[in-house]
Amino acid sequence: MKSKTAKRPIEILIVDDNPGDVRLTLEALKDGKVQNRLHTAHDGVEAIAFLRRKGEYADVPLPDLILLDLNMPRMNGVQLLAEVKEDSALKHIPVVILTDSREVEDIAKTNNMQADRYVTKPIDFEQFIKTVKSIIDFWLTTVKIQTEER
Amino acid sequence: MSQTLKMDQQLDKSEVMAHEIKQSKELFRILFYRSPIGTYIIQDGCFRLVNRQLAYILGYEEDELIGRPVLSFVLPEDREAVREKAVSMLKGECSLGYEFRVINKQAKIKWVMETVVPIYYRRKRAILGSLIDVTERKQMEGRLKQMTDEMQRSNTELEQFAYVISHDLQEPLRMVSSYTQLLSKRYRNKLDDDADEFIAYAVDGAKRMQTLLHDLLEYSRVGTRGKPFSLVNCEHVVEQAMANLKIAIEECGASVSYDVLPTIMGDEGQLVRLFQNLIGNAIKFRGEEAPQVHISAQRRNNTVTFSVKDNGIGIDPEHSQSIFDIFRRLHTSEEYPGTGMGLAICKKIVERHGGHISVQSQPGQGSTFYFSVDMAGGEAE
Repeated sequence: MKSKTAKRPIEILIVDDNPGDVRLTLEALKDGKVQNRLHTAHDGVEAIAFLRRKGEYADVPLPDLILLDLNMPRMNGVQLLAEVKEDSALKHIPVVILTDSREVEDIAKTNNMQADRYVTKPIDFEQFIKTVKSIIDFWLTTVKIQTEER
Repeated sequence: MSQTLKMDQQLDKSEVMAHEIKQSKELFRILFYRSPIGTYIIQDGCFRLVNRQLAYILGYEEDELIGRPVLSFVLPEDREAVREKAVSMLKGECSLGYEFRVINKQAKIKWVMETVVPIYYRRKRAILGSLIDVTERKQMEGRLKQMTDEMQRSNTELEQFAYVISHDLQEPLRMVSSYTQLLSKRYRNKLDDDADEFIAYAVDGAKRMQTLLHDLLEYSRVGTRGKPFSLVNCEHVVEQAMANLKIAIEECGASVSYDVLPTIMGDEGQLVRLFQNLIGNAIKFRGEEAPQVHISAQRRNNTVTFSVKDNGIGIDPEHSQSIFDIFRRLHTSEEYPGTGMGLAICKKIVERHGGHISVQSQPGQGSTFYFSVDMAGGEAE
């Protein structure tokens, strides 16, 4: 079952307005062993267009995993998450909140959010690599469970 | 003979009575008219009798007040409340130290404190009142409250400021530190020696700044992000602190012991942090011998004073106050690493729990840190 998913690269959508973070995630993913393709949206509005394949995003693949920052202009992470989880075509995609906010758990509780995981962006790069790796591991097990359930 | 004696006796008696009457009139005059407290009798809502001090407080002559309605001297906003007091008074209730405002002849507002009791005067119900001028005290109270409010506000602002600063600086700092680390990881030994050295300094600087910001954030969170107080078993707290320090304790063979410790009202997470910082310091600033830390508690009335005693290098008494200041360090970072925030955080936590922290120490003779906590959880605002 694992081999079935590992044959094609994992399509990852990162929603973050900070190009430095996007690049850092890309570098961290390079360090991992799993084949992947990273797509970028700079805010919630762009991310929704991507996920619903509107306009310039007509030919993009549906991502296997969404990495979501919370603080963004226009539509922020909390709003985007709500939108994704209400959309029957999208709600199966695992969402990992990857953010600066140290109060990520607090925010999660107050907003009653349904993200699959909450991760604070580590300040240390080595730690960041480990974090990204753990997210990918998490995704692999989630997908495994989902395929087994089917 | 017996007749004259009787006459003399009667004469004596009336003389004595006259003398007594004179004396009691004088006493009354002193007590009533010279009293430093405004004293008066009110009947049918009007002054029937007033002394000089009351007239002085209101700025009138005594005879100007007689027959005038009392409420006309009371500030209109306070009239209803004063009138209600008078009504309940006539039902037989006393009123002690009631404060309201009056307007004097010069149209100035004064705060007064009145105590009144119901009496009979010339066979009719009346009110006996005494009153003092508390304007100065009220003004002081007002100024004090204003100052306290302002201080509180600026304190909260400062805490918020420190929080926002330390929080928001993390993001750009993360960029600096992550990318310098990435540079060091990818390009070590690929550029020249100078480049390696420069990058190493940049990485180190960013790391130290992270620690500073992290500790500053933690410090500001004591006030702004504290949890509500609940019952906390201090032995559990010490156990948790020790568990968090497990590696450090094992590495240097430290022994940590504690007496019976009480259950208090407090913020458990913060109390763990408090003990952890103090035990951690005892281990960090150890002497030649393996560190020994002992914790005990003494209760007096509603206050528990904890002591954390060690056999470490000690502190010069000269620094026994300043070590609790933020970013205060007594050693270079080569000797002992750290940001100098640990004890400042301790102090803040203790103060939030309504207590004080202090240290008794001599260089080379170990240190004992004392801190008190309000058992009932009287949280400092």
